[in-house]
Amino acid sequence: MSTIVIGLSMGMLLFLLAAGLTLIFGMLRVINFAHGSLYMLGAYLAFQTVNITGNFWAGLIAAPIIAAVVGALMERIALRPVYNRDHVYQLLLTFGFILVVDEAVRMIWGLEYKQMYPPELFSGAVEMFGSSVPSYRLFIIGFGAAVSAALFFMLDRSRYGMIIRAASGDPEMVRTLGINVSLVRTGVFSFGAGLAALGGAVAGPLFPIELGMGFNIIIDSFIVVIIGGLGNIRGAILASLLIGMTRALGYSFAPSWVDFLTFVLLIGTLILRPEGLFSRKGRTA
Amino acid sequence: MNVFKSTILTAACIGVLAVAGGNVVRADEADVFKIGAVLPFSGPYGIIGKGMKQGAELAIEMRGSKVLGKPIEVTWEDSETKPQPSVQKATRLISSGAQMIFGAASSASTVALQGITEQRKIPLLVTISADDKITQANGYRYTFRTSNTLGMEIRMAIEFAKVRGLKKIYGVAADYAVTRDGMDSFSAAAKEAGIEIVDVDYPALGNRDYSIIIDKISKTDADGVALIVTGSDGVTFLKQAGQAGLGKSKVLFGPVLQDEVLAAAVGPDAIGAASGVRYHYSVDNPANKEFVEAYRAKFNEWPDSFAGEAFDGMSWFLDVIDGTKSWDREKWVDAFAGSVRENSVEGRKEMRACDHQALQVGLWGVVEKGEAPYPALKMKITNVFQPEALFPDCKE
Repeated sequence: MSTIVIGLSMGMLLFLLAAGLTLIFGMLRVINFAHGSLYMLGAYLAFQTVNITGNFWAGLIAAPIIAAVVGALMERIALRPVYNRDHVYQLLLTFGFILVVDEAVRMIWGLEYKQMYPPELFSGAVEMFGSSVPSYRLFIIGFGAAVSAALFFMLDRSRYGMIIRAASGDPEMVRTLGINVSLVRTGVFSFGAGLAALGGAVAGPLFPIELGMGFNIIIDSFIVVIIGGLGNIRGAILASLLIGMTRALGYSFAPSWVDFLTFVLLIGTLILRPEGLFSRKGRTA
Repeated sequence: MNVFKSTILTAACIGVLAVAGGNVVRADEADVFKIGAVLPFSGPYGIIGKGMKQGAELAIEMRGSKVLGKPIEVTWEDSETKPQPSVQKATRLISSGAQMIFGAASSASTVALQGITEQRKIPLLVTISADDKITQANGYRYTFRTSNTLGMEIRMAIEFAKVRGLKKIYGVAADYAVTRDGMDSFSAAAKEAGIEIVDVDYPALGNRDYSIIIDKISKTDADGVALIVTGSDGVTFLKQAGQAGLGKSKVLFGPVLQDEVLAAAVGPDAIGAASGVRYHYSVDNPANKEFVEAYRAKFNEWPDSFAGEAFDGMSWFLDVIDGTKSWDREKWVDAFAGSVRENSVEGRKEMRACDHQALQVGLWGVVEKGEAPYPALKMKITNVFQPEALFPDCKE
């Protein structure tokens, strides 16, 4: 039973890491290679905020806001001029973002590992089903569920979500209705960057904060997005949970086969359902 | 062009390339002594390069930046912690006239460098890579390692387990050739010592979630956990183990688990973790005191293992070169093999002629809280093992 609880926390953490990537792809059709760098930036920003304020929650709020501003600048200055060009330009551009963000982080924070701790409230462990489960893991489960519910609500039920979906499906029609599609796109990219940073801030107390941490999660994020269906938020949640549980069971019985099992899941999806396990035709969110 | 002419032209080209390349051992005196440093300044071991560079820089500075009466010129290249860039950059440095190569950090990169330095007959100074295969009997003539091997660190880990009276141990090793070999050696030695290995897990190198493994370990009756992981893997494990309270019921230790740099990344959860230590600023001898003082004055920080080992190796090799009074690299290699350094910052070191591995003491320590001016978390050296207990005889 404790395996399920830990698997859930692993899945929710994966969802938090991948949500921004799938949102940006779903709405803008941009594969953001710099997602990992924005995640890393989020972890460093959260570390810096906690260092200054001594408050974990301040870091959790400040990191996504600052990263969202950085994301908006990226979109406005660099991405917007290449939307109408071949996808290769967007790929190269987001790859260039990686180099810029990584170098900026290196110049500001240096190469040393940085550390963050869970907030006092979630610093202990809880006895559950005969296991000692860190309470921060339980926080991740709850926080991930809250973020996914908020994303559902925003994209499916709110007026903003309707505009975003419409701008993604038929930008010209939306433009004729007097909506500034460019601004919508900037907002979506900025929001996606903020989500990536939120993932970094949440992951900070679990992993060493270091320059290469973005590279470590980008592959996981792409696996979630591919299995869940490109641009499909519902799919991303379900895929994250599926991968989280697969890994939890893998670590229980055959730790050295965990990556193999994950990739089997990925390859199986690509062969049997290339559009993703949970995709619905025409649905982007 | 007929066949005869083209054959002559090809032969001439090969001849020119052979002369222009480094295959011919140069004994000519040069205006400067060029060192090619291939160190990780980015990638998983990016943090190691900084300390190595600072340690080597200080070694050069403290000898007046000269060897054989000529100024020393170092070109620093980023290995990116990958074998391929390491080889590309070393090749370029050798072509630019490097007299020796210094690096790399990851064993995979160092093994890759050995290929090119052996081929070009350029000395390779290794001060951190620990794979035992890097120095083997009658193996690599131009490679010299002045630092620890993983094998000696494994033996220290076993000695620690015996001293602590551990009876049952759970093993965790990164799923990587060197660490798997290390765990095999550890398990075999543990059995000989009457210690039961409860179970062993091999999570992937760069694994990001140890929570299930930690949960499994906590449910066993093991009294110790042997961790053959290092770098960010060790940091991640100790952070997550701390959140689950694993360190309260089990002794966490490993041959290369912690030093001050890694302990700082873990935070207070690192306290109590025991580990082999490559070098430590607290070693009490005049050479080390002088080095630590100079290092702190120049960089305003305590030297880490990477800096200490780099300083020691570079000082030693350059002293040997000076001693030959020759620009013949073959003479340097012959002189380094079998040389003894009485005044090393870690005490006496002897470069074994059979495999070019430095025999030296092994340091073992535990993470504890530090008080200013020391780092907030520091290694306390608890055991010093003598070389006879750590290095097996050279085998063919």
